[in-house]
Amino acid sequence: MGSFSRREFLMTSTGAALASRFVGTAAAATSPKHGGTLTATWGGFEPQSLFVPAGGGSSPYFTSTKVHERLLRLTADLKFEPVLALDIKPAEDFRSYTIKLRDKVTWHDGKPFTADDIVFCAMNYWKPVSAGVSLDALEGAEAIDPLTVVLKFKGPVPEFFLKSVLAGKSGLVIPKHIYAGSNIITNPINNTPIGTGPFKVKEWVRGSHVEYLRNESYWNPGLPYLDRLVIRWWRDPASRSAAFEAGQLDIGTFNPIPIPDIARLTKGGKVVAETKGYSNSAWVATVEFNQRREIFKKREVRQALMHAIDRQFISDTIFFGRARPSIGAVHSSNSIFFTKEVQDYPFDVKKAAALLDAAGYPLKGGSRFKLSLVSAGWFEENVKMGQYVKQAFEDIDIAVDLSVPDRATSLKRIYTDYDYDVAISNNSGSIELIPSTTQYYTTDGIVKGAAFRNATGYSNPKLDEIVAKMTVETDEPKRIALAKDFDRLASVEAPILPMVDLEPVTIARADVRSHSTTADFMGESWAEIWLDR
Amino acid sequence: MRRIVIRRLAQIIPLIFAVIVLNFVLIHLAPGSLFDVMTSEQQVTDPAMLDQLRRTYGVDQPTWVQLAKYIWSVMRLDLGFSYRQNAPVLHVIMEQLPATVILMLAATTIALLVGITAGVLASVKVNTIWDNLISFGAVFFFAAPSFWLGIMMTVLFAVKLGWFPVGGMRTIGSDHGAFADALDVMSHLVLPATALGLFYAATYARVMRASMLEVFRLDFVRTARAKGLSSGRVVLGHVMRNALLPIVTLLGLQLGTMLGGSVVIEAVFSWPGIGSLLFDSVMSRNFPMVLGVLVLGSLLVAVCNATVDLLYMRLDPRIRVR
Repeated sequence: MGSFSRREFLMTSTGAALASRFVGTAAAATSPKHGGTLTATWGGFEPQSLFVPAGGGSSPYFTSTKVHERLLRLTADLKFEPVLALDIKPAEDFRSYTIKLRDKVTWHDGKPFTADDIVFCAMNYWKPVSAGVSLDALEGAEAIDPLTVVLKFKGPVPEFFLKSVLAGKSGLVIPKHIYAGSNIITNPINNTPIGTGPFKVKEWVRGSHVEYLRNESYWNPGLPYLDRLVIRWWRDPASRSAAFEAGQLDIGTFNPIPIPDIARLTKGGKVVAETKGYSNSAWVATVEFNQRREIFKKREVRQALMHAIDRQFISDTIFFGRARPSIGAVHSSNSIFFTKEVQDYPFDVKKAAALLDAAGYPLKGGSRFKLSLVSAGWFEENVKMGQYVKQAFEDIDIAVDLSVPDRATSLKRIYTDYDYDVAISNNSGSIELIPSTTQYYTTDGIVKGAAFRNATGYSNPKLDEIVAKMTVETDEPKRIALAKDFDRLASVEAPILPMVDLEPVTIARADVRSHSTTADFMGESWAEIWLDR
Repeated sequence: MRRIVIRRLAQIIPLIFAVIVLNFVLIHLAPGSLFDVMTSEQQVTDPAMLDQLRRTYGVDQPTWVQLAKYIWSVMRLDLGFSYRQNAPVLHVIMEQLPATVILMLAATTIALLVGITAGVLASVKVNTIWDNLISFGAVFFFAAPSFWLGIMMTVLFAVKLGWFPVGGMRTIGSDHGAFADALDVMSHLVLPATALGLFYAATYARVMRASMLEVFRLDFVRTARAKGLSSGRVVLGHVMRNALLPIVTLLGLQLGTMLGGSVVIEAVFSWPGIGSLLFDSVMSRNFPMVLGVLVLGSLLVAVCNATVDLLYMRLDPRIRVR
């Protein structure tokens, strides 16, 4: 503690506070402590609105989930735990589910939370606005009594699938008495959301931070541990590093600081890096081949280009080791559906060249053919990946025209205009593969203008059939077998494949306890996080 | 005096009209639209929903109709509604504009104080070690990118020495009255205002030095000296006042650039100004917000320039309204 600063001294002017700082690093207390303010951030910018009902990306997801809870949550070891639902049971035929709700839960404005809220969410919010195709089969919702809801479906719905939707990004529970009769998407309350969660919004200072206060009437007595939660936004990763070093920031999710800074910051033991807590929102960098171009209709060409990319190099050099070469279409952190028994594409320039020769694209006049490569410029790493992939393709004598457009242009070129030959993009998938992973491969994933779906135009009845079976297969082992069939076929066909599995990191001060405990920690309510100081 | 104010105000109207038309065209020429960004973020795929959103955002109409509608609403002092922020444009801007204005004023003050002092000092001690040091400093601060300077100052003064906070505008959650709040904002303001101000101070120092040296050679300075005035009075009362004119010209020109330069500084220090709002809005093609910021920004610059013109007349009585 040699670098004890004047400001810190002024802020912690009592001797007791000073003493606890010295002890804090020595031994970890076992029983959680109440109180304190946690200052958090993430590796991105301020949200456009604190709650964006239809999704809106990671930033509003981060800010809204402290207020809006879900029926269930998925733990780090992939078990569903009750939150607002005590129990969710399928009927014999899996065509309806009975949801038992938690008693004595109130909204932040004091109104009771009841089955009517869930009926409203299911029919007026989840199905039409947030969940989209996931709840296509949902036919109706009915409140049996104030704490019981029955969801009815057109066909059988697998249990893991439905629970994933309810515990996922689209399953937030919002109050009927506030949203009924209004347009959910444009309701002004979205900037000061009211939920059942452990934190109440106190104030949002645009451009700076949002401040939450402890919900004194939270349904889980004793929680949350924190008195106050502040989510602050720094636009610049280096400034976030400085804020950690100056002790003004306690935790940052999703790569808050430049990767090379991690080693320096964690060296003293005052700050730790944690990679857990991202498996239900697993990020990958993908390469996709536009099937509307004659050249890429040939499977051998797609496979050749996969062989031409040194994905270990991308992991080590571009991501500084915070990524791994992908295997198949499923993220390696997905311990339920991931399989190694897929077609792999080791880096092999000779094989790539041989495949292209065989496919009818020999070298003539300096190059085999010319392609336009679009790397979506929303991550800094995509700029470097675009430059690297360009060189890798040039090494097998393909002329490459690279462009790295900004976010809006990338969305338009890749997902609306299909104006690319090869694209580098990203997506984050949940543990459940339908639809977040499968929609990149299935025919019904082709929706012009809808981003983060099948933009390659690939269509294969055999693959569609596997996914259709998976959608209604209620026997878990059979379903996993189908998922592996899907993965194998996708990896052989390679219309789009992940190049590297990203490994996002959470940076936290060592005295922040009980974080990164669930499968998608950024979107957790953070009721259990506590400060050991 | 009144004529110049009225003339300036009259010039603002075509200026704002030009700002609107030019930026409206530019943002529509850029690929991708607010509609694309919003629907992809919200994963909207249902065709009926897409149509409904098109109508809500007003993008179902031809571009020239959208432009005419926008100009008409600005004429009624209505900057429109931002569906991205889910709030009226003026409301969002007004939440963030004060921070930028405070930062600009503080940075300008620092730039003027440091720049003029350094320039005067360098001209008085011309060709000495002082002059060289000031010239070196001026070149350094002019050449150093402001984001780099900002980060370096943060590392030194906020992380290592702990004198100032790392970023933001207020200590979150402190509520000890207006005076304590002002002090709090000031301590947050020091680093960003200095990082932004030093760049401009460098220019002012160089211009002030050159301008002072020129005035030193004029006859009235020799007269003043011959009258037996102290060298301090000669420098401050006669030379400096006359040498200030080019600085005022520069100041008027640079107020606009400073608004742009603050985007970077606001990012480094997470200063809650309109810089990051403007940047996000451009990236998401949120044209009502972009135009709103630019319209208010051009108003601000126009008013500042009119003030500078008035300042000219005060500094040099020979300048008259023609």
